[in-house]
Amino acid sequence: MRTEDGPRVALIGAGGIANAHIDAWLTLGADVRVYSHDGADELVAAHGGGTVVDSRAEAFDGADVVDVATPTYTHGEVVRAAFAAGLDVICEKPLALTSAEAGELVEAARSAGLALYPAHVVRFFPAYAAMREHVAAGGVGEIAVQRFTRLGARPVKPWFADPRLSGGIVMDQMIHDLDFARWTAGEVVRVFARQSVTPDRTDRLGVVSAQVVLTHASGALSYVTGTWAAPGSAFRTTFEVAGSEGFVRHDSAEHAPLRLDTGAAGESHGLLPGTSFTEDPYLTELRELATAVRGGAPARVGAEDGVAAVRLAEAANASLLSGDAVELAPTLEGAA
Amino acid sequence: MIARTTTPLRIGVASFAHTHAVAYVRNLLALPGVEVLTTDPDHGDRPGESGGAAMARDLGADYVETLDELLAWEPDGVVVCSENARHRPYVERAAAAGAHVLCEKPLATSVADAEAMVAACAEVGAHLMVAFPVRFSPAFAALRERVADGALGELCAVTGTNNGQLPAGRAWFADPALAGGGAMTDHTVHVADLMDALLGGAEPRSVYAQSNQVLHAGRAGAETAGLVSIAYDGGVVVTVDCSWSKPDDYPTWGGLTLQVVGSDGVADLDAFTQRVDGFSQPRRSPLWLPYGTDLDGLLVAEFVDALRTGRAPQPDGAVGVRTTRIVEAAYASARRGHPVDIVSA
Repeated sequence: MRTEDGPRVALIGAGGIANAHIDAWLTLGADVRVYSHDGADELVAAHGGGTVVDSRAEAFDGADVVDVATPTYTHGEVVRAAFAAGLDVICEKPLALTSAEAGELVEAARSAGLALYPAHVVRFFPAYAAMREHVAAGGVGEIAVQRFTRLGARPVKPWFADPRLSGGIVMDQMIHDLDFARWTAGEVVRVFARQSVTPDRTDRLGVVSAQVVLTHASGALSYVTGTWAAPGSAFRTTFEVAGSEGFVRHDSAEHAPLRLDTGAAGESHGLLPGTSFTEDPYLTELRELATAVRGGAPARVGAEDGVAAVRLAEAANASLLSGDAVELAPTLEGAA
Repeated sequence: MIARTTTPLRIGVASFAHTHAVAYVRNLLALPGVEVLTTDPDHGDRPGESGGAAMARDLGADYVETLDELLAWEPDGVVVCSENARHRPYVERAAAAGAHVLCEKPLATSVADAEAMVAACAEVGAHLMVAFPVRFSPAFAALRERVADGALGELCAVTGTNNGQLPAGRAWFADPALAGGGAMTDHTVHVADLMDALLGGAEPRSVYAQSNQVLHAGRAGAETAGLVSIAYDGGVVVTVDCSWSKPDDYPTWGGLTLQVVGSDGVADLDAFTQRVDGFSQPRRSPLWLPYGTDLDGLLVAEFVDALRTGRAPQPDGAVGVRTTRIVEAAYASARRGHPVDIVSA
């Protein structure tokens, strides 16, 4: 049930990330209309809220904001349609598969006078936000080296495995940490990437692990690793930021506030699956973005950040192809 | 029965003697539909320490000089943050003035005081809540759920710790006349409250305790370390390490842990562990950047929500009495060197 001041949201797409978004929207008291080629009924049934509609136009009609949670290769088309309907947009990362298209979307938003926010949710994870606050306040001095790792079971939907549709692991998964590395250490001037893939098996896809070295304009270096691991692998992220006056580090597998050992296989010795004991970062994210869309307090991420993140992933993919480092020319503020 | 409902809700904060007042005032000020008025009439007793109108100004809260003025404002609820030994007069005056009360822990420094406060509130229909913030920890809530749904089987034993630094900025914590004691008073009750929740209010039956003053010798007029063993109705045994055993330069204030052993499993709770680690060279010190849920915010929200919706907030005065019984028995046991039976009313 929408609360009096809850936003009216057109949620386009009903796949993996839509599950996280609809929960957050319902908690925020939003009226959510879901349109998707596939899975909308199941999504609404599973989360006990929202309304399934039969067309995108119906979802857009009367909405305050469009939440684009479709596969990456469709983002541009959906975002443009939302702008054509005069609607502000929150778009799942990556904003687009190329920095050229991402830049065009930002330009389209600007000329239409509409908001476009890329949903870089890692900026809203409490450990990452606490680290950023400390680093931005000078807590580690001048940043020398940053490390970020991100590992999870390889996504099974076929479009993820097609680099023309997902941009591969660098564009789809590692972009979270590329964005964060730039947020803490600033613009990047050189990108080098390597990737290793194990052979697919009859019953499942192979494991993919990509490693990227960023050189920042400040001289700081970032080492970013993204892994699509074997089925059943626990989702895990780590970071360390080291500077002239100290370092900060985090490993999502450490410091679990509650561990249970009930002697049952799979649950022993572990953090309760899916439980972080802090506010859901998607809720933090969508609350802040919805507030910004309505002209309230500014969000911690903007459309230009979405373009810059795509540009970093694009450069890493180019480096994977060429085997050489890719130089990034400084860009004019906001240019793609 | 008190049925006064004003819109917005008026909450008074009485005394800044306990530094938790800072978090409560900040959280109250952030709640929509809540008006806040503060007073710190005894701040003259704390020379050189923060307090009074200056502290209220720093917090951005309205301030009056006396409790009488605060109560004349007709608050719906009063949060009592005085020195432990002064909880009773504050709570009784607030209740007599028609306010519901949230009292800082421990509820009192004697069972007689605690029972009198519960009776005084009951007499006028005022709700009495005790400030046990760890009960609001999402990890503890998950543990409580798993215990309730039988995931651990029958509970049999719990090892609890609530260790901290010597409380800074407030000398009264280490003055038995105002605090009721030292670490055993300050820290036993948090774990005791969690046990009360896990065991559904089971009565503590026997307490054995030992304490010493090895740590911070000369800086504290009371025990700075202690172990308290509690046997509950139903057979569960619990030992609490309540010591002020975190060094002055430790990177965080302290923490709270429980290891819960049941017939079908073991659970480990580490309520304040969520953090970014690090090191600061200029400070020559490890870093501990906490990012867990703000428990004081949830505690204050429970009090305010209960007042708005006319229900009794939890944890209530009865928990406060049961946990005070444990502390009182612990001191008796530490003096005698033998376990002490608790005969509840």
